[in-house]
Amino acid sequence: MTAEVFNPHILGFFCHWCCYAAADAAGVSRYQYPPNVRVIRVMCTGRIDVRFILEAFGCGADGVFTGG
Amino acid sequence: MIIAETCRQALKDAGVNPDRMALEWASAAEAPRFVELITGYVSGIKSMGPLGTAEGESEKDVIRMHLKAGIKAASARKVRTALGKLAKDMNKSNDYSPQVISEGVANKVLPAFRKERLTQEIQLCLAEQGPCKSADLCEKTGGGNKEIEKILETLSKKKLVKKKGSSWY
Repeated sequence: MTAEVFNPHILGFFCHWCCYAAADAAGVSRYQYPPNVRVIRVMCTGRIDVRFILEAFGCGADGVFTGG
Repeated sequence: MIIAETCRQALKDAGVNPDRMALEWASAAEAPRFVELITGYVSGIKSMGPLGTAEGESEKDVIRMHLKAGIKAASARKVRTALGKLAKDMNKSNDYSPQVISEGVANKVLPAFRKERLTQEIQLCLAEQGPCKSADLCEKTGGGNKEIEKILETLSKKKLVKKKGSSWY
């Protein structure tokens, strides 16, 4: 029972008006989804830059999910 | 889209599997779709394993070094101008197909990014690990022999690096 399960660190960049609201709605209507995503809310997906994503990986994220 | 494609190619250049970066759309009313997307994405990452273990990836420390230089390179003036020019060209030609974007990024943005990353990484390597031979630098930065030589020459003209015997510092 000591086999370690890999829990990835995933960073989510969510647009305030679309994906963030969708995530909110998913919570309100009690859908189950994996808890690995750490969310950063941006005012628009267009705000996201190459630098942000490289920094996320540089800080040790296993994946970056951008939701528009 | 241009930014996403640039990210993908920049990650590949830094030795990270580009599939780790995803760009998806879900509107505010599409909670079930959002759940589906997240679930699929997380299981995809789980099957890939931690950073540095998936197919075609270098070791974690190497990736970290590449990324550190990549972050600096991404804000470099030359890379920014290349991105702006590409956007302008695409606006003129009015063709926004994924293939055109991917080709444009590969031809116009990536060379600038790669050169800038290698330049930054050489300086980082020399600052952190002391004098190095140019062959060692090639190995550490993942650049070709000729590329590295050329960049070292430019750097030494700017008096940022010096040569002593066969090693640089």
